[in-house]
Parts: sequence; structure tokens; C-alpha cells
Amino acid sequence: METLLGSLKGAFLLCGQLFLIIVPLTILYEFLKAKQAAIGGNRRSFAGISGNGLIPLLTGIVIGLTYGAGVIIHSIRSTDIAKREAFLILLYLSICHAVIEDTLIFVVIGANGMILLLARFSLATLLTYLVHKGHPPER
Amino acid sequence: MDPLATLKKGFLNGLSLTVDMIKVIIPFYLLVELLRYLGFIRFIGGVFRPFMGLFGLPGESALALIAGYTANLYAAIAVLKPLHLSSKDVTIIALMLGISHSLPQETPITKRAGVNAWLLLLARIVFSLLAGMALNLVWKLF
Repeated sequence: METLLGSLKGAFLLCGQLFLIIVPLTILYEFLKAKQAAIGGNRRSFAGISGNGLIPLLTGIVIGLTYGAGVIIHSIRSTDIAKREAFLILLYLSICHAVIEDTLIFVVIGANGMILLLARFSLATLLTYLVHKGHPPER
Repeated sequence: MDPLATLKKGFLNGLSLTVDMIKVIIPFYLLVELLRYLGFIRFIGGVFRPFMGLFGLPGESALALIAGYTANLYAAIAVLKPLHLSSKDVTIIALMLGISHSLPQETPITKRAGVNAWLLLLARIVFSLLAGMALNLVWKLF
């Protein structure tokens, strides 16, 4: 019985900590979503991702795939992003998304957040760049 | 844009996300404590020791990896916390889980965006495992 109470206490404590992380983030997400229209229109591109692609990319990096799915799918379908670029964007996002929330919830249980962020950003960037270089767009 | 309405919407979203999270965390957390009490965690640890050793992780952490891949990160955390891993171990498994998690839920999203979802799924799992191995090796160097 005592073990059970101890476990319940531990579980609720964890939920409380995560609650404190999640609520400020969901509030931030809403403000970002409202601001979304202001970003974009940039002509430069990096690793095969253009200015148009930055909207779904940034949404995914900050907000995440599940929560940002609507914005990501809509912005890929509603602009003239090619299938190849869409793949690069989702490749990047597959490895590196929801970086704030994912990192903080692991920091709560003792992970080193700087290492996590650094590793995910560099791995996603490197991989996307390599795929971009290895499969040049058809002309 | 009405900042107050945006604030309220964000707060309510956070609240409903927390409720979803509690529904995942409490059962997983209690299940792991129960399994440990029954000695099952030690058994799992033994079975997965060789595999998880590739990442410098104890065998029991395989449970967190499975929970994260198939369910979500909250489930993985609920499994991880009662295992009391070191900061290095948590960082390694967090990197692996960060790259690859909630696969049944997130793969359909990449599919709906119109790209090769199977290829991305494969890439996530492969790079999750490779990143875990790499971080373990890098950690040993320093």
C-alpha cells in the first residue's frame, strides 16, 4: 500500500511538472499561429528548402508534428512547394520537431537539454543537406 | 487578433493536453512500479541487455523505448522516471526518443502531407538507433 501511494505521488508530481511546461508552450503556440501569416516570402533557399517551405518547417520545429499538423499540411498544399521539397521538409521535421517541449520534458527527468538540442538540429540539418545534394532537383 | 482570446485558447489547449497526458502517465507509471515489484523489470532488463548495451543503456530502458515508439513521449517518461537512470542515460534515450516517437500517430501525418511516409518512418527508426550509438560513443570520449 505504501509503495502504491509513493508511486501515485511520484506520478502526480511528474504530471504537475509537465503541466507547468506544457501550458506556457500551448499559449506560445497560439500566438505563433496568429503571427504565422507574417513569416515567409523569402526567396533564399537552404538544403533544398525555399522561403515558402520555411513556414511549415518552422511550425514543425517549434510546435511539433501532431499539434502543428494542420498548419504544416495546409501550407504545403496551398503553396507551390514541390513534392521533393515537401519530402525534405518532412525529413527534417521527422528528426527535429517540437524541440522545446520534447527537450524540456526530458530535462525534467534529468537529461542534458543542450546536448539534445544540438544533436537533433545538427543531425536533421546534415541529413537533409545530404539528401538534397545526393538527389539534385530535375531540370 | 485578440490577445486575451489567444491566451485563453492556449491555456485551454494546455489544460486538455495535460488531461490527455495524465491519462497516459498515471497508468504507465503504476504499471512499471508494479512490474518492478513483481520482478518482471529485472527479467526484461536481462533480455534486452545486449541490445540496449549498444547505446550504453541498461536493459530495462528498452521498455521506455518501446513505449515511446509505439505510444508517445509521455508514456516513455512515465516508464523512465521510476527507473532512476543517470543523466547520461536519460540524455541518450531522450535523443533516441526525440528522433523517433509516437510512430503510429505521426506517420499518417507525413503521409497526409503527400510524401513517402514509409521511407520517413524507416529513416526515423534507423537514425534514432544510430544517434543513440553515436552519442554513447561521444560521451565515452569525454
